[in-house]
Amino acid sequence: MDTSIIADTFDTWTDDALSWISDNGEWLFEFVRMVLEGTYGGILWLLQLAPFYVIAVIAAACGWRMINAVAGALIGVALVFCALMGLWAETMSTLALVITATILALLVGIPVGIVAGFARSFDRFLEPVLDLIQTLPPYIYLLPAIALLGYGPATALVATFIVAMPPAIRLTSLGIRMTPREFIELGQASGLTPWQMFTKIRLPFAIPSIMAGINQSLMMAFGMVVIAGIVGSGGLGETIYGAVRTLDIATSINAAIAIVILTMVLDRLAQSAARTANGGRR
Amino acid sequence: MKTAMNDSNEVLVDCQNVWKIFGARAPAAVKAVSERGLSKKQVLKDFDCVVGVSDASLQVRRGEIFCIMGLSGSGKSTLIRLLNRLIEPSLGKITVKGREIAKLNAAELRDMRARNIGMVFQSVALLPYRTVLENAAFGLEVRGVARDERNKTARAALEKVGLADWTARYPSELSGGMQQRVGLARALAADPEIILMDEPFSALDPLIRRQLQDEFRQLTKSLGKSAVFITHDLEEAIRIGDRIAIMKDGVIVQVGTAEEIVTKPADDYVSDFVAGISRIHLVKAHSVMRPLAEFKSAQPHCDVDALLRTSPEADIGELIDLTMQSDRDAVAVVENGAVVGVVTTRGLLRGVAGTTAGEPVAA
Repeated sequence: MDTSIIADTFDTWTDDALSWISDNGEWLFEFVRMVLEGTYGGILWLLQLAPFYVIAVIAAACGWRMINAVAGALIGVALVFCALMGLWAETMSTLALVITATILALLVGIPVGIVAGFARSFDRFLEPVLDLIQTLPPYIYLLPAIALLGYGPATALVATFIVAMPPAIRLTSLGIRMTPREFIELGQASGLTPWQMFTKIRLPFAIPSIMAGINQSLMMAFGMVVIAGIVGSGGLGETIYGAVRTLDIATSINAAIAIVILTMVLDRLAQSAARTANGGRR
Repeated sequence: MKTAMNDSNEVLVDCQNVWKIFGARAPAAVKAVSERGLSKKQVLKDFDCVVGVSDASLQVRRGEIFCIMGLSGSGKSTLIRLLNRLIEPSLGKITVKGREIAKLNAAELRDMRARNIGMVFQSVALLPYRTVLENAAFGLEVRGVARDERNKTARAALEKVGLADWTARYPSELSGGMQQRVGLARALAADPEIILMDEPFSALDPLIRRQLQDEFRQLTKSLGKSAVFITHDLEEAIRIGDRIAIMKDGVIVQVGTAEEIVTKPADDYVSDFVAGISRIHLVKAHSVMRPLAEFKSAQPHCDVDALLRTSPEADIGELIDLTMQSDRDAVAVVENGAVVGVVTTRGLLRGVAGTTAGEPVAA
C-alpha cells in the first residue's frame, strides 16, 4: 500500500477545512481584522503625534525616574540614534505592533492563567497545548493567519499574539498556585470568603510571577514581530526582510540595531515597573 | 499567682473523644476505631493510616490559658487546627461557645473564625505587601469594618503590644520578636474570645521569648481572653499555662496544673520531661508539709506555735527564705488561722529533689 495516500488525504482535509473556514467565516475574520488594525492604528497614531525628540525625552524621563539618571540618559541617546538612522517611523510602528500584541496576549493570558491556577484539571489540559505552541516554529502561525486575514499588520498581530500568550498564562498560573501554605491557612483562620482569599492573599502573592510573565510576553512579542515582517507587518521587521531579499546588508544592520535598542529600552522599563509593583517586599 | 482573677467555670472550648486519622483508607479506619476500638498501632498496621490525634478530650474555660505540650509529631498542631476546623475531625465532638463546629455551614464557620477564634502562627504569616497597621487591621478588614474604625482598633492593639511607633513600616523591617507581636496584635484587634497560639515563640531567641511569654500571659489575663497555646517546651508551658495537657503520639497523657504535672506525673514519659524542671516556684507548701498530727507524734517536744508561719500556697522559694530567717528547722503552714502542717528542712529538700521517699521516723 502506498502510504503517501494517508498524508495526501490529511493534506486535502486541512486545505478543505481552511478554505471552508475562510469562505464561511469571512465576516468574522473581516471583523477581527478591523478590530486588530484599528487598535494598532490607534496606538501608532498616538506614538506619531509627537516628533521623535519628544518621545525620546519622555522615555528618558521615565528611565531617570524608574531606574537612574545614567539609564535615563542612555535611553534618550539610544532613541535619538534610531531617528538619526532614518528609521524612526519604522521603529514606532514596530513599537505599536508589540504593544498591541502584548496587550491582547495579557488580556487573554492573565485571566486564563488565573483559571488554570485554580483548576488543576484545566491546567493539565493546558500544559501540552502551551508546550505545542512554544515548540512549533513561530513561522507556522503566519500561514493560517495570512490565509484568513490577508497580507498586513492584522496577520502579524495574530501570530505575535499567539507566541506572546504562553508565558503570561504559565507564570500567572504558577503564581496563583504558589501561594505559601501558611498564608492560605491565615486566610482560612481569619474567615475569608473565597473571593477575599483570591483578592487579598492569592493575587498579591502572584504579582511578582505575573510581572515576570508580562515581561516575557513582551520579549516574545519582539522576537515574533521581526519574523512577521514577511507578511507585511510594516515596521523594522519588514525593513529587515526587504533588506535581506536585496542583500542590502547595511540597512538590515541598521534596522537590527534599532530593534535591539527598542527591546532593551522596553525590557528595562518593564522590569523596573515590576520591581515597583512588588513594593514593600524586600 | 497562677489562678486567674476572672476565672469562671464557663467552658468555651469542649473537645470530646476527638480522633483525627490521616491516610487513603481513613474512613474505613475510623469505622474500625469506633466499632472495634482499634489502637493506634493496629490502625497503622491494618489500614496504613496515621493517627494524628487519638481520643483527645479537653475543656478550655473562659479566661483560661490552656497549654498543649508535646514534641514534634505528637499531634499538638493537628489538635489545635481541629479547634477551628482548619482540619476536620474524623470522630468525636468539638463545641466552641456551645455550638458544635462540625455542624456549621461555610458562612457560619467563617463568621465564627472571624469573630470568636483568633489564631497566631509560628511562621507569623504577616502579609509582606502590607504595612504593620494594615496587617493588624486584616481581621477587621475581612469583616467589612470601615477603614477609619479598623485602623483605630488596629492601632490600639499595636499599642498594647508596644509597637505604636511602627505602624507605617513593612514586616520585613521588623525583628522576629516584633513580627510576632504584630501577629498577636492582629489576633487581638479582631477581639475574639479565644486565641489559638500555634508555637508562636518557638523561633525566637531565649531572652525575647521569655519577655514575650510574660507579656502574652499578662495581656491575655488583663483582656480576659482564653487561649490555647501549643509548645514543645515544658518550661514555656509552665510559665504561661493555667493548665497543661501533655501529648504523646496523638494521645493526651495528662492534663493538670503545672504543679500537678511536676509533682504527680502520670507516667514515665511525663516524669522524664519533668525531671529537668526547677521545682522552686512550682511546688507549694501544701504538697511538702507534714500534717500537724504526724509532725507532733514524731517530734513531741517541738513548739509548733513558736515557728514562723506561712500559707499553703507558698512555694519552695518562699519556704527556703523563711527557713533561713529562723533558727528553727521548720515552718508552720497556716490555713484559716489554724496550723495545719509543718514544713521541715528535710521536707523542703525532698520537694526540691522531687523524691517521694517517706520521712524517717526519728527526724
